[in-house]
Amino acid sequence: MARAEPPAATFERRVLRSAAEHHYLRVRLELPDGGARPSVAQFKQLVVSALRELHGEVGAALPVDVLIYEEKTLSAILRVISSGLVKLWSALTLLGFYQNRRCAFRVLQTSPFLLALSGNSRELVLD
Amino acid sequence: MSVPPLRRLRQVPRHLLVCEKGHARHARSRHAAHVQEHAYNCRVSFLIPECGILPEVLKNTIADVGEYYLVRNLSVHELVAHEFIDAFVKKGSCYALTYNTKIDQDNTAALLPNGKLILSVDKDTYEELGLQGRPSQYSGKKVMRYIITIDLTDSGFHPDSKKHNRVLWALKEKKPLEFDFLLAWYNTGAEGSTLMSYFSKNQIQALKPKITFNTLRDLQCPVLQSNELQGKPDESCSTEELFEWLGAVLNQVSLDNKSSSFLSTYCCPQPNTIVEKAFLCTITGFIIPEKIIQLLEQLCCYFGEPKLAYWLTLTVHGFADSPVSWRESEHGFHKGGENLYNFVIFRNLDYWLQMAVGTNDDCPP
Amino acid sequence: MAGFADLNLPQGLDKKSLQSLLEAAAHLGYSAVALNHVVDFKEKKQEIVKPVSPSELFPSLPIVQGTSKRIKVLTRLTLIVSDPSHCNLLRSTSANIRLYDIIAVFPKTEKLFHIACTTLDVDLVCINVTEKLPFYFRRPPVNMAIDRGIYFELLYTHAIKDSTMRRYTISNAISLMQICKGKNIVISSAAERPLELRGPYDVANLGLLFGLSESEAKAAVSTNCRATMLHGETRKSACGVVYTVKKPRKVEEEEATLPACKKAKTQA
Repeated sequence: MARAEPPAATFERRVLRSAAEHHYLRVRLELPDGGARPSVAQFKQLVVSALRELHGEVGAALPVDVLIYEEKTLSAILRVISSGLVKLWSALTLLGFYQNRRCAFRVLQTSPFLLALSGNSRELVLD
Repeated sequence: MSVPPLRRLRQVPRHLLVCEKGHARHARSRHAAHVQEHAYNCRVSFLIPECGILPEVLKNTIADVGEYYLVRNLSVHELVAHEFIDAFVKKGSCYALTYNTKIDQDNTAALLPNGKLILSVDKDTYEELGLQGRPSQYSGKKVMRYIITIDLTDSGFHPDSKKHNRVLWALKEKKPLEFDFLLAWYNTGAEGSTLMSYFSKNQIQALKPKITFNTLRDLQCPVLQSNELQGKPDESCSTEELFEWLGAVLNQVSLDNKSSSFLSTYCCPQPNTIVEKAFLCTITGFIIPEKIIQLLEQLCCYFGEPKLAYWLTLTVHGFADSPVSWRESEHGFHKGGENLYNFVIFRNLDYWLQMAVGTNDDCPP
Repeated sequence: MAGFADLNLPQGLDKKSLQSLLEAAAHLGYSAVALNHVVDFKEKKQEIVKPVSPSELFPSLPIVQGTSKRIKVLTRLTLIVSDPSHCNLLRSTSANIRLYDIIAVFPKTEKLFHIACTTLDVDLVCINVTEKLPFYFRRPPVNMAIDRGIYFELLYTHAIKDSTMRRYTISNAISLMQICKGKNIVISSAAERPLELRGPYDVANLGLLFGLSESEAKAAVSTNCRATMLHGETRKSACGVVYTVKKPRKVEEEEATLPACKKAKTQA
């Protein structure tokens, strides 16, 4: 990180309008009690199959990243290219089964800024 | 114009990211003003690379972030009472924000430190209150939400004025509004009564911010050059790359994936360096701008002595359901209520400031 | 803007299942739901029973997630009509019908769809999502329904359960949007289990799939539901809603808000 000190920066301002390359979703998978919990690879597979089911091969080809996945709580953060947000979200919403058992994806938060997912005031319990 | 259904599937909700660079010691720098103007903050985090133990002076600053209060079932008319205005609003910076109300569904109220009381109410409440307001900017053609702004420190708002009596009557008798409120008060002189004693008849609770410390090991950090906001290929990373990277760090996302990886292809932007230790502190509560400015100042002073770190960051999350973002700019919640900002403070006290808002927001200042 | 609502939870379930559905709805952030009693006239002689009182069924209703309010439970009657004679009941001043907060009608033919949109005193018209549309939507009745403050209901649970029905749901929805231009749409669940319910923001996003715009989609789970409830209230009282606010004062000081302004609200 050591570098020669550059001269003091002159003021500059850039406004980026709806320019985010990606959108992020914090999701939780709900399964009936006692069901087998998917591993991270199975989880990703489930997301891809949900996309394929609703949007076909083009949907399945959408680049989606599982940034984190917690098997214990079945919660994850997904990243998708911005133009695929509505497709990914609707695919998750209409997914009804995992391994022939009922399931439901709950989208807890979405944002074009990953940073926003680290401080959601709607989930803070202050008292 | 109607949009064909299929194209709608590719559209993204509106959002804005403003990136600025400047120098923290520049006489005309507005960076502190941007902090002051963002009134309602629920979480503050700072990340210092190459730092294992926090200096004493920063520890003290964090410990001094101060209490805030939660008052249950407080009638809004109590905030327009002259005893309250004289004791608190006019004698310092008084902050109030309704707690557990949703700006896209419920009525919401907020008191800004400049003495403006903002009510964001649905159409029914607006009609019943009978106070003058304006339609919400984000309510669409059929207006379903109205914003009422009352200046409590206005000279025409003295106890006997018609205006004051009308507001009091509307909020007390016409349509009594009651909320749980988060309250905080900042005044320079320690004189006068406290919120705790003033609202002793109400159900009031003093709360302390929750503070967590974390040491991150072997963290990949992007290389940044303060005068290159957009980055330079092979030399430094851009402000957007930094913004995403910081989000990844604060969400504990793994940074070392390959493009061929099945699970995730996210990786730390290039070029980057690995730092052995980085210190991450997170403060959660109802945090007032005055305290954030103090913290920002202390973080600048961190570079007063030679340090290994080339830069550090300070992230501030606003309340998703606040009726304003910066100043009195209306804020709403469409799919998310993001209103947040992040500082990168460089060793030479240059800074980058990133301000982000969602769909129902004005451009940040 | 208004709180989120799901105007279609089946009433026929046993009490325990219904309780868990209500809890799930409250947890997902719905502030109001309607218990739907379905009457199908094709099945022999159907009688319209009095609505079950939700407060009797559930003495303590669950609290809506992130608030301190309890979920509001309304009653709804849905009449499945396949013959014009079935509509006579709606025209008569049947006492039991008036007790329901919301009245919906599910027309099976084009003629009945036309009647429902243009003359029947109902709040909701159900759109078929489980099979190919049996008739075309036509502009005049749809516009008439919109003018009369009647809303069209789309259900999403079938689209979760079965991929064929998913196709019908989406294509019938898009056909309707061509005609109604995204106006006066309500999206409900008809979920029988908590795992069939979806959160309000998730349902709003589904609205985009059905051809609604961002704001129309959110309205379909919030403001349009509220408008439907108000339409129901107005219908019940026949001439508009008058709220009387009792004050701890003398009788002559009692206040009532004007019906005129309430009328404006139901149109919104």
